Amino acid sequence: MQAESTERIAYAAPRTRGLMRGRAFLVRLLNDIRVFPALLLIPVLIFFILWNVIPTLWMIGLSFYKYSLMSPNERFLGLRNYNDILNDVQVWASLGRTFVWVFAGVSIQTALGFLLGLLFWGSRDMPGRRIALTMLFAPMIITPIAAGAFFQLIYEPTFGVVNWVVRQFGGNVNLLGDTNLAFGAVLFVDIWMWTPFMILITLAALGSVPKAELEAAEVDRLPWLQRFRHIILPNAKFILMLGILLRTIDSFKTLDLIYLMTRGGPGNTTDLIALLLRRQAFEALEFGWASALALILLLTAIAFTSIYLYILNLSSKRQEA
Amino acid sequence: MLQNWLRRSILVFVLIALMLAPIASAQDAHPLAGRTIDMAILGIGGWLPSSLGASMANDLFRPYAQENFGYTVNFTFAESPFESLFQRAAASLATRSNEFNIIISDSQWLGAFAEPGWIVDIDELIANGIPSMGIDPQPALDLELYSKVARDTYQVYPDGTDEIWGLPQEGDVIVLYVRKDLLLDPEERAAFEGEYGFAMPETFEDFEALTMEQFEQMAAFFTRPDQDLYGTIMQHSRVYDFQTMYLYPFMWSNGGQIWNPETREVWGVLNSQVNADAMIWNRRMLDYQPPGAVNAGIAENVDAYTQGKVFSAFQWAAVGLSMVEDPELRANTLIVPPPGFMQEDGSISRIYSMGGQPWVVNAFNTPEQMRVAVDFLNWWYLPETQLEFARRGGNPVVASVVNDPGFNDINPWNRAYAYMLTDGRALDFWHEPNYSEMLAVQQEGFTAFASGQVNDPMNTLNWIACRQQAILYDNLRSEIAPPAECDSITLN
Repeated sequence: MQAESTERIAYAAPRTRGLMRGRAFLVRLLNDIRVFPALLLIPVLIFFILWNVIPTLWMIGLSFYKYSLMSPNERFLGLRNYNDILNDVQVWASLGRTFVWVFAGVSIQTALGFLLGLLFWGSRDMPGRRIALTMLFAPMIITPIAAGAFFQLIYEPTFGVVNWVVRQFGGNVNLLGDTNLAFGAVLFVDIWMWTPFMILITLAALGSVPKAELEAAEVDRLPWLQRFRHIILPNAKFILMLGILLRTIDSFKTLDLIYLMTRGGPGNTTDLIALLLRRQAFEALEFGWASALALILLLTAIAFTSIYLYILNLSSKRQEA
Repeated sequence: MLQNWLRRSILVFVLIALMLAPIASAQDAHPLAGRTIDMAILGIGGWLPSSLGASMANDLFRPYAQENFGYTVNFTFAESPFESLFQRAAASLATRSNEFNIIISDSQWLGAFAEPGWIVDIDELIANGIPSMGIDPQPALDLELYSKVARDTYQVYPDGTDEIWGLPQEGDVIVLYVRKDLLLDPEERAAFEGEYGFAMPETFEDFEALTMEQFEQMAAFFTRPDQDLYGTIMQHSRVYDFQTMYLYPFMWSNGGQIWNPETREVWGVLNSQVNADAMIWNRRMLDYQPPGAVNAGIAENVDAYTQGKVFSAFQWAAVGLSMVEDPELRANTLIVPPPGFMQEDGSISRIYSMGGQPWVVNAFNTPEQMRVAVDFLNWWYLPETQLEFARRGGNPVVASVVNDPGFNDINPWNRAYAYMLTDGRALDFWHEPNYSEMLAVQQEGFTAFASGQVNDPMNTLNWIACRQQAILYDNLRSEIAPPAECDSITLN
């Protein structure tokens, strides 16, 4: 084929010959199994380099400087920003709060999501199943800002519905103004929003369980718990773990909901690490310090991911063995 | 006959020509005559005084510019909430953008904008103009303001100097809104006097003599949760500077200071016993406020008052229009100076926080935009413009307008506004480039105490003072480093 096209180029007019040569070169390039995949990757690579790699490198560089929008003369500080952050009690307090937020939130969402997912998995013929599922998924579709605004009104101590109910029993509650209740009140909204996601993941995970194995278990009259332990869980766990991983990373970054509902207050009882980062970067405009914190958080998120992946790999290796 | 007619015609023609000549020459003289210029004002979202500036620019300055300068100008109003306006302005200016030509800045941001050279030096503009842009000196912008505190707040940076970087867009102070139906009710008055042994104030003059101790008793008297009625409402929210603005009066009026502006010393000044006591008092006032007041900001304060949940409200004069929008409520509201604080010598001191905003001019404007900005500002300070601003609900600061005999009658809050805008009755805080960082620290500390998360006011003040001193020291704004004991001070 190549010889044929070379022959055709030789007989063509000089201008056409050039075009045909170019075309032939392109065809050769596209046919090359080593080059073609790389060509396909170029657009996404450009995008990735422009929007991920360069900003990340820039952020790493900034983290070694005293760099503020307010004072244009940046100063090289070496590792001082990192040292300050690691010795800052407020950062640790905020980080501790964030871990509680992530652990409590994701655990409850996973447990509830799994239970509800199981319920819907086994009830294909349930009347109104579609409507029930649609309604169940609605919170996940609402933006966190809108959900935060709804719940601010629901929690409002003078006219909110929660306090109205509490008042009927002679009590009074100020959920977002009470230092003991605010964290739980905001966490509840997060759980309300993201449990549907875990239901969805559970349904997807359960859908991946081979029917043949389930039918065999049915024939063998295997108890439900055994079926769950030996068939459902081993097959569903990869997708479930993926869901937990996604929720963990997302939960670690929570900002919008808290920002709208409490701004980290009352006091600093709901001040999560993303809020602290935002405040330092975009209120204090201390980009050097904030870059150092952002890098630490990025590494923490990578560590999370690695641990999950390690656990997943470990269990799959055990299974194979 | 014909000669007379001809002579008369020529005379009339010459007279008309003479009358029109200055207008024509003025239009010819203006370098932008015949052009259309687009301008953008950045201001505070949902804040009437900000939007008034922009709406008046289009409603009134546009035809004025057309008539007097011969150019067409279109203003757009970009807005951001209080807590994010600074970031939006700073991010835009840091990139040397002329996206916003005139910015309604908060008074404390002057240093942050002036220090990197983002805004026009108004002193320079007044004295020398901007020769590189062909703009002449602008002596008309050398304004005589109603008080020195207004000048220090809206114009001056660095604190304590005469350098001016801003021009007042809107003046603002905290005033007290009181419901007359409760205050003047004979039965309520008799019951109060019977319980507390003194009569509640009735008039503006009575409120001038009212102390915070007495007001606290009034607030306690009207706190009736069973009737869904509370004595008062302030602002304690963590958002932006809300808690700070309502705590400072308790500190300043009792002799407390927040820093030494000359040495920029915070440690040893802010963390004083007077200020610790002020924090306790400020927190105690929550007992007379509706549930949730610990998160109340400007909007929640307006809601509580307009919905009849409170007897009184400590609120900015600038939101007067929202507070008494309903004609019935307007007629039922007395707007007076907020209570003073009794001093040891028996005198009453009241030093409340300054609100309000200056205009600042973007230094990266094109020559055309700069010229329009200067024309606009000159127009803004014309007495008739300032009076129109007041008629629309704004608060002018120019001395001639506030001193005008009819000023107090324009809006029901004007008398209290002018009273509180006086030297010695209001103060502004640091105009530092690191203002927002310092504010974020103290908002965290003050709200932690107000909400009951922490209960040791002195430790809270120590923690704030340490961090603020460190910010000033690290940014080379102060030679005084935080003391070694700061290492062991934590908020919790």
